[in-house]
Amino acid sequence: MPIKKKEGKVEEIKGERRKIQRNFEGLITQLSSKNPMERRWAARDLVDYKEASKYLIEQLMKEEDISVREVIISSLLRIKDEVAIEGLIECLRSDDAHLRNSAIEALKEIPEEVGPYIEKLLQDKDPDVRIFTINILESLRHPKVIKWLIEVIEKDENVNVCATALDLLAEVGTEEAIPAIKKVKERFKNEPYIQFASDIALRRIGEQ
Amino acid sequence: MKKILVIDDAATVRMYHRKILEDAGFEVDEAVNGLEAFEKALINDYDLYIVDINMPKLDGYSFVKRLRESENIRQSPVIMVTTEAEEKDIDKAFEEGANFYLVKPIKPDEFLKFCKLLTGMPYE
Amino acid sequence: MNSRDTLKNESDITLTDDDFEKFREYFYRKTGIMFDQSKRCFVDRRLIERIKATGHNSFKSYFIFLRFESSGKELQNLINALTVNETYFFREEYQFQCMVKRMLPEIISRKRSGDIIRIWSIPCSTGEEPYSIAIYLLEYWEDIDKWDVEIVASDIDTNALEKAKKGVYSERSVQNLPREIVKKYFKYLGNRYYQICDDLRNSVEFVRLNIIDTKETKRYRGFDLVFCRNLLIYFDDLSRKIAVENLFDSMNPGGFICLGHSESMSRISPIFKIRKFPEAIVYQKPLEEVK
Repeated sequence: MPIKKKEGKVEEIKGERRKIQRNFEGLITQLSSKNPMERRWAARDLVDYKEASKYLIEQLMKEEDISVREVIISSLLRIKDEVAIEGLIECLRSDDAHLRNSAIEALKEIPEEVGPYIEKLLQDKDPDVRIFTINILESLRHPKVIKWLIEVIEKDENVNVCATALDLLAEVGTEEAIPAIKKVKERFKNEPYIQFASDIALRRIGEQ
Repeated sequence: MKKILVIDDAATVRMYHRKILEDAGFEVDEAVNGLEAFEKALINDYDLYIVDINMPKLDGYSFVKRLRESENIRQSPVIMVTTEAEEKDIDKAFEEGANFYLVKPIKPDEFLKFCKLLTGMPYE
Repeated sequence: MNSRDTLKNESDITLTDDDFEKFREYFYRKTGIMFDQSKRCFVDRRLIERIKATGHNSFKSYFIFLRFESSGKELQNLINALTVNETYFFREEYQFQCMVKRMLPEIISRKRSGDIIRIWSIPCSTGEEPYSIAIYLLEYWEDIDKWDVEIVASDIDTNALEKAKKGVYSERSVQNLPREIVKKYFKYLGNRYYQICDDLRNSVEFVRLNIIDTKETKRYRGFDLVFCRNLLIYFDDLSRKIAVENLFDSMNPGGFICLGHSESMSRISPIFKIRKFPEAIVYQKPLEEVK
């Protein structure tokens, strides 16, 4: 029978364990290993150490291997302390599209923790950051979400920021938002996309 | 009928592009991120890709890069779609293999003009 | 409550076209499953069931509840209600075809003689999948005699594992199998029940495992082929991501992983490479660790 059952328990791979110290210092060193597999394992194991956030963020910002990045983010999301959250928010400003977008996705996973930062981010001078903040709002269970979105479409000067808010309002909007949507339609009279997105939002809210 | 893949994480944006393109006689398919787009491109033949930059899982540049590196996918033209603030990234888009870019929010006429141009359709 | 009131309540909840679109877009974003108009009846019926089951009386209030429920439990209930999940032998057989025709030949091209091939079935549920893999290899893989294969089967449900070890199945479960295969690998127990032959029962290793538990999963290494079908779709976003990363670590470079036919890595993680074969789309752990 060529199908064989392994005798006894599944063995640990002893080699990898002996070579590296599994304590905090050892893991931090391993986090900058030349070998992406070792970096990934270190990122994975550092999830047990709250002090690791700072190092994980540092590595995230220069990490080029996609599988290592993903595991770093998973660990940060499990640690989810202030350092981790603020580090991820900092990544929203990165020039690296993949890093930016991974950060948005990550922050969406920890809506409770990111809530306190939202108001300030919605006022950020970089319109992209304001757009990304609205993206993060998608998963936020917060009594102020609709109010925030309404404020954006009432006050934000950037058409794409308003467009992003309208897209989210189509899914979560309530009647409360109707007057503001009608106003933003007026404000961006010459933007066909805003007309379209406003109409969709109104329809989904049940106005039309 | 020419077939276009619209790639954007915002449902309303996909709907908008779809409406403009379908009204003009194109067949339209959608993907919410670069990964899904890549999967669809492996299975289907598209004449044109409309690619948003900021998307979860796999952003627009990474998608175009993978597309251009792939031997199993039809190398159709790519229109990259960006918001104003990212114009500095345009060079990167061309480096990765995009053919053109448009700035959001897109105006229907301009959009159609370039879609027809890049799919070899006449523009009346 | 008289019978007229009861009748009225039954047809009270309806979905408008806009409700359906709104729901459809949300569900598509979360799961990658897109319901077209032909599925409208099916979706409406299941949705209305969930709306009532959660004590809501309109789609509107239910949708707000669904969207913002932090535990994600209702979304999972909804996914359960909207996806058909039945296990039986040779389910999604095209993936097994792909295994013997494409994936295994590639895997062995990178192995030396004497190396073992490790296959993981997770979740294995009541065992139909790992036994199907074993049978398929024995019957349809031309190189089965040249290589030793180890099949590990895992599930979080210990009851299912017990059933799997016993290997007793109903007629319904084996109905997809050619008659000769049933004769060859099963004994008929009477009363329309069949049991997997002892040889096969003794060659699959069944172990309890929670795929999200990174520490537990760390001990599993060196897999060439993983079947993870119809499990990830039931997890929340973060758990799915972590499960996939754990699976990645458990695999050899160049190893393949198959998901359920309505599942895709596109909603989960970019770390696997996608491979298209004539029989199936599967995912592969990159061969070389660069940089």
